[in-house]
Amino acid sequence: MNTFPLKIGTPDGMLFDGEAERIVVRSIGGDLAVLAGHTNFCTALGMGEAHLVDAEGKTRRAACIGGLISVMNGVCRVLATTWEWQENIDMERAAQAKARAEKLIAEGDLSDRDYMIVRARLNRALVRLSVGK
Amino acid sequence: MASNMKAVKLRIRSVQSTMQITKAMELVASSKLRRARDRAITCRPYFEELHQTLVDIADGNTDFTSPYVRTGNNDKICYVVIGGDRGLAGGYNSNLFKHFEAESKGKDKIVFPVGKKVVEYVQRRGYECMSDQFGHIASVSVSDCFSIANLLCREFNAGRFGHVALFYTKFVSMMSQTVGSFPVLPLGDLTDHDENLEERKKIRNLILYEPSAEEVFNAIVPEYLAGLIYGAVCESTASELAARRTAMDAATKNAGEMIDQLNLYYNRARQAAITQEITEIVAGSDGV
Repeated sequence: MNTFPLKIGTPDGMLFDGEAERIVVRSIGGDLAVLAGHTNFCTALGMGEAHLVDAEGKTRRAACIGGLISVMNGVCRVLATTWEWQENIDMERAAQAKARAEKLIAEGDLSDRDYMIVRARLNRALVRLSVGK
Repeated sequence: MASNMKAVKLRIRSVQSTMQITKAMELVASSKLRRARDRAITCRPYFEELHQTLVDIADGNTDFTSPYVRTGNNDKICYVVIGGDRGLAGGYNSNLFKHFEAESKGKDKIVFPVGKKVVEYVQRRGYECMSDQFGHIASVSVSDCFSIANLLCREFNAGRFGHVALFYTKFVSMMSQTVGSFPVLPLGDLTDHDENLEERKKIRNLILYEPSAEEVFNAIVPEYLAGLIYGAVCESTASELAARRTAMDAATKNAGEMIDQLNLYYNRARQAAITQEITEIVAGSDGV
């Protein structure tokens, strides 16, 4: 199958720079896949599981949160706020974060802004847990 | 003569204690620098790719529904100036201010300072200051960058200013740091600085935005701003420490040289005192 150059970067460094066959990410409008020969394209990333199939046909899963994906003249760039490969996810920490966030929400008594923050934390933890499994 | 010797001795001691301080500062800066440099280097590819992506998008964009893309008629510029918290870093802060001064002269501006020295500078100059809550660059984290970006976006949309530009210090190497600046918002500004713009315009490809250009820009612009600011903060911190290390290294060397010279002077004065004493004794014994 055809491959295309793919770059995945986060503020903590470039995590992937090479040829890939396919990448699937969750955007703000739902899951989407990019294959070779995609038209110029740009959208923002939501929170969810992502996976890519590299040039050797191997699939790697990751938790991907926030950022943008763009395809420009055949080069695909995924610039995420957080991108954690499945094997690097700290399940224990995610489980703790989930429990903490759930407790805070159950207690109620949060300002709108705090609620948004806790909610986002919970979502991140859930994404990590579902990918890490 | 004896009082002169005492004065020189005191001077030597004072230079020695200054040297100890500069030496300590150099050591602290170089140990912090290692971490800051690693952070700047890991962040750099992201920073560059992010900027490149947005330049490409700005280049090929034909959709002007989002306010982030349009170059409006509001000429006011918001400068995000990223500097240091402390002095004694050679020309680090003053270089930044000099460039900033040259670039922003005569323009209608508002400044968003990051770093204590920048806050002080803005107050001294009497520039309009957007917020000084990020006065300490040492404590700026990724989430702070997101709050800065959100704040900027909100004010931008409210029409408080029409452009955003970024000033920071690029970490080129341990020995050299240069001031960098580029326009950030609106995206239309990004293409103005391209030399081969004409050439690139010919091969303009349409870009597909999903679900819509406006929604995409509303979602990615804060991310993009935060990413750029974070990258610039990393670069600036590393630059500051490198500048401080170099400055303190030079100061330590100078202090060493000064001590050598003072020692020479001290010995000469001591020798002169001894000679004089001998002469006096000899003259005295001759007299007997």
